[in-house]
Amino acid sequence: MNKARRKNALLASPYIVWIAAFIIIPLLFIGYYGFTDREGNFTWENITTIVRPEYYNALGLSLLLAVISTVICLLLAYPLAYILRNMNMSKQGFIVFVFILPMWMNFLLRTYAWQAILDINGVLDHFLAMFGITDFNIINTPAAIVIGMVYDFLPFMVLPIYNVLVKIDDNVINAARDLGANFWQTLFKIILPLSKPGIASGIIMVFVPALTTFVISDILGGGKLLLIGNLVENKVKADNLNLGAGLSLVLMIFIIINMLFSNGDDTDVNTVKKEVKK
Amino acid sequence: MKNISKKIYLALIILFLYLPIFVLIVASFNDSKILGNWDGFTLNWYRELFDNASIMNALKTTLILALLASIIATVLGTLACLTISKMKKSTRTIIMSITNIPMLNAEIVTALAFMLLFVGLGISLSFSTVLIAHVTFCIPYVVLNVMPKVSQMDNNMYEAALDLGATPFQAFYKVTIPEIMPGVLSGFLMSFTMSLDDFIITHFTRGSGIDTLSTKIYTSVRKGIQPEMYALSTILFVTVFVLLFLVNYGPSTKAKKSVTTFVFKSKMRVAMVTAVVLIFGVVGYFALKDDKNYIGDLYVYNWGEYIDPEVIELFEEETGYKVHYEEFETNEEMYAIIAKGARSYDVICPSDYMVEKMIQNELLAEIDYSNVPNLQYIGEQYMTSAEGFDPGNKYCVPYTWGTVGIMYNKTMVDDEVNSWSILFDEKYEGQILMQASVRDAYCVALSYLGYSINTLDEDELKEATDLLISQKPIVQAYVIDQVRDKMIKNAAALAVIYSGEAIYMQEENPNLEYVVPDEGSNVWIDGWVIPKDCQNKEAAEAWINFMCDPEIALMNFEYITYSTPNEASRELIEDEAIRNSQIAFPDDAVLSRCHVYNYLGKEGDELYDYYWTMVGGASSE
Amino acid sequence: MGNKLIDLQGISKSYGKHMVLDDLNLYIRENEFLTLLGPSGCGKTTTLRIIGGFESPDTGRVVFDGQDITNLPPNKRHLNTVFQKYALFTHMTIAENIAFGLKIKGKSKAYIDDKIKYALKLVNLDGFENRMADSLSGGQQQRIAIARAIVNEPKVLLLDEPLGALDLKLRQDMQYELIRLKNELGITFVFVTHDQEEALTMSDTIVVMNQGYIQQVGTPENIYNEPENAFVADFIGDSNIIPGTMIEDELVEFLGTKFKCVDKGFGNNKPVDVVIRPEDVELVTPDKGTIKGVVTHLIFKGVHYEMEVMANGYEWLVQSTKMSPVGTEVGIKVDPFNIQIMNKPESEDEEAVGVDE
Repeated sequence: MNKARRKNALLASPYIVWIAAFIIIPLLFIGYYGFTDREGNFTWENITTIVRPEYYNALGLSLLLAVISTVICLLLAYPLAYILRNMNMSKQGFIVFVFILPMWMNFLLRTYAWQAILDINGVLDHFLAMFGITDFNIINTPAAIVIGMVYDFLPFMVLPIYNVLVKIDDNVINAARDLGANFWQTLFKIILPLSKPGIASGIIMVFVPALTTFVISDILGGGKLLLIGNLVENKVKADNLNLGAGLSLVLMIFIIINMLFSNGDDTDVNTVKKEVKK
Repeated sequence: MKNISKKIYLALIILFLYLPIFVLIVASFNDSKILGNWDGFTLNWYRELFDNASIMNALKTTLILALLASIIATVLGTLACLTISKMKKSTRTIIMSITNIPMLNAEIVTALAFMLLFVGLGISLSFSTVLIAHVTFCIPYVVLNVMPKVSQMDNNMYEAALDLGATPFQAFYKVTIPEIMPGVLSGFLMSFTMSLDDFIITHFTRGSGIDTLSTKIYTSVRKGIQPEMYALSTILFVTVFVLLFLVNYGPSTKAKKSVTTFVFKSKMRVAMVTAVVLIFGVVGYFALKDDKNYIGDLYVYNWGEYIDPEVIELFEEETGYKVHYEEFETNEEMYAIIAKGARSYDVICPSDYMVEKMIQNELLAEIDYSNVPNLQYIGEQYMTSAEGFDPGNKYCVPYTWGTVGIMYNKTMVDDEVNSWSILFDEKYEGQILMQASVRDAYCVALSYLGYSINTLDEDELKEATDLLISQKPIVQAYVIDQVRDKMIKNAAALAVIYSGEAIYMQEENPNLEYVVPDEGSNVWIDGWVIPKDCQNKEAAEAWINFMCDPEIALMNFEYITYSTPNEASRELIEDEAIRNSQIAFPDDAVLSRCHVYNYLGKEGDELYDYYWTMVGGASSE
Repeated sequence: MGNKLIDLQGISKSYGKHMVLDDLNLYIRENEFLTLLGPSGCGKTTTLRIIGGFESPDTGRVVFDGQDITNLPPNKRHLNTVFQKYALFTHMTIAENIAFGLKIKGKSKAYIDDKIKYALKLVNLDGFENRMADSLSGGQQQRIAIARAIVNEPKVLLLDEPLGALDLKLRQDMQYELIRLKNELGITFVFVTHDQEEALTMSDTIVVMNQGYIQQVGTPENIYNEPENAFVADFIGDSNIIPGTMIEDELVEFLGTKFKCVDKGFGNNKPVDVVIRPEDVELVTPDKGTIKGVVTHLIFKGVHYEMEVMANGYEWLVQSTKMSPVGTEVGIKVDPFNIQIMNKPESEDEEAVGVDE
């Protein structure tokens, strides 16, 4: 028995070495850089920089946009997932397929396409001009960034919710109806509470990338709106790795809070990610 | 009725999801290079795609990276599942939580963590570093798929195999492996997809010469993506679409009315494997076309869209060096990479003040001019100017030069434009494009205020910063290269640009006009330098010499329209109007009010960065 | 038993091309325990769901207490359902589950608490109020599902294979429990099952269905003793079904031998099916039997022995408390009263309705 265990440990060792070297140690490096200055002396400064107005403004804006995007994703995704759930099986396959397919086109390109759509004299402007609407400009505004985020992350909200919804036994819904509940009562008292795990996973999976993106704000924000992700990237570009690491540490606090808040049960997120990247 | 509203809702969401894809597919058939400007139908981009070495290279790198990363991750992850499942519960929980970190953490944090690891340990970034990062973030997806299969597996099966006389290896190979195979396959495919699609982690960990499709797109987003990229994406997208469609809806005898999710998934798997095989076939074909008279590698780091691609091919043909060509967007970004030693290049094209900074920080190697006979064609006055930042002309050979000024649209601006003040006029709210680089932004503000563009006076800088912050609400966007597309599309009225852009933009949109404001501005020189850690100095010098060839310089001038310091080349310009253009080759009156940027020292850089971040973080309301 | 409470008139239902119910007519009387019995896919569950309001029929009407309720949504119908896998609300406690329907109707808290107590007592689960639904065993969940339905005082309780997921012993207990409940509540039960023993034990009326058609409606005794066709005979209990010819009234010939029977009115020399229950086959010494055979298989079943006897080219299934070892020569005797004669299906269509599972 002991021998078997030793053999098992031996077989597991490459993997354990790998995750130690490439997951744990890099995070320790973030910690090290975050708490030191260029000369390697200990400092709080990289962390406390966040209280400077230009930094906490960026963090505040990131949090705000991430929350708005997450809420919009949820509001769009829930009815969608519900409609998908109630379709018959063969159609369901088709719809899920339609829904995953856009992910096969590079997301940078798709975001860039949004720039072309929303830009001044862009596709949308030409379209609206046909109805006599002009001066509709949202490119380089928070609204454009939110559209980009919702677009990119919507599937990450739909699929987890869809996954819990399909698992709800039809008869549970029927039972509620049978016991006298109308559609809305059934929705709020039965279906919504039962789909909580999916909603929680969806929130985790939309909120974190929305909070930390720098690509979307870069492309759709016209460089006017700095998000915390942009600041981290700028600091790395400007060769200030220590400050970049310090800001990352601040970000990680929010990521952890989000996961605790959403009651992030690992298994849930797991199944979700799995479905998303089918 | 209710059903109809459901269908409308679905249709709207599908429209939302597919609108950008539609735009991109249309763009692949659009004669115009500008996304969203329809110029007529063409199939050219498809024809040119396969000749576009940089895109095909990026495709190759992307696919090889994805394949290697997913294979290694699959092996490691599967091994992990088989062994972890036999461990104590507490150990198992700890290992699983660690495994999942890259999946749950923000990508930018993971990416930075990897970068710090490599930089901190003094490992220079390369293909291997990207590969390690990709393997690491792929592993959780493998574990995710394989673990359920392993825990579902009846341990008695393995024991039964032993009981029937199999050796442990045979039992593992014949019983365990087939049993978990579906999970392993899904894990592999998911890893492949994740790696294929990744941008941020690759962006932070890639070495020189490594461009994936994502990073290639990102560096070109600023200056307009090459339309061949749309063609490539369309091909990939349509391939996957057709495959999935056939698998799901093609004639099938087995498919029952109730297609279960399992059937759906396993078919998806088949489709994906087919897609992977297909894509590799194509890449393999193009990979074989490579490398004829190869004698060595040359790593070039240049500004975005700053060379005629044909010149690279000519150079390769003539010298036999394989060129790995990469682009940067700002001097500062380039400097960060070189100074950290994160990636090494053989020849780089920074601007004047950055050359000075690199010389002072001892990052450059002296050029052996006996290898650069074509230097004779560079105008004397440019070499003299270059002495301002490169005393003795030891390190730098001028490549392009120009001024910073205002480009405006005559139909949208009715005031006379001769002062920076127009950029602060609220009348043009939302019509102004500013440069996103520190020095150029401060050049505008400092010149306007009448201060030196190289000032280190904090009060002057503060004043300039306040001015820039007060300007922010009326600025449409802070851009780098995309200023071109926007001005050509009439999407903005005023923009701060480099004179080199002006000629091209005027060709595309005759309503555009360029001025260097009366308050003065910046005159700049970009030149070739060779970093100290260069691996192939001979090749670098051959490159510089090639760039100084009058014919080649002319090709570049005509392609990028930035003024050339190559006198012989200027004589070759056929169009007299351009040869004598005030924009490309301004007279002394203009030049006398323009100044070069100086390197401001480490403190100076940090000071500018400090204030510039304040501008960035300021509200734009 | 009372008047017609539910009347299904000309109900048809199909999913795509698949016809599930074809012109079904059936009424259910007040206070009746009616069982829909049949193999899976026979349409019994669809029938129940149409009564419950979860499916709407393509054609036909559902009349409840004289009112047409065909298009009434389930939450407006005065009947409640106990679902196959219980369909308890896993995010609620037992008390909340039971209170669900009452809260929707806006009953007072005191009333609801009262009802919960009463219902839990009724299903022998007092004190379970605050447990979570998924912490209970299958049998307990089953009782809660029933409690949740009956607190609403429905006129009819629909039960969709409610005992299917329980183990044998528990299933038998629950059968008695259900009979007791029905008697205590005095309401109508419509019960769906594929288990003939369950149907025979509990029902007042059994409706045997196959492939969307009703095969026979009757009391348990009636269905068991006088199956109207080979499908019913085969589906209810074990049977020897032997093709034969009705020579004349009260005389049938099969396996080359003439047997006396009690059936009349089939005409002369008509092909028929003969049904003989295995417990009705008497094994005697060879000289005393109507035909002779040899025992080929023998199994001990507890209460009785089950044997197969090869006689005149037919393998007879025989159940007897007396054992005859394999190889024994025996005689077979059947009481005329125990020979059941059925018409052979005349058309192919009718055959399709017959034995299939």
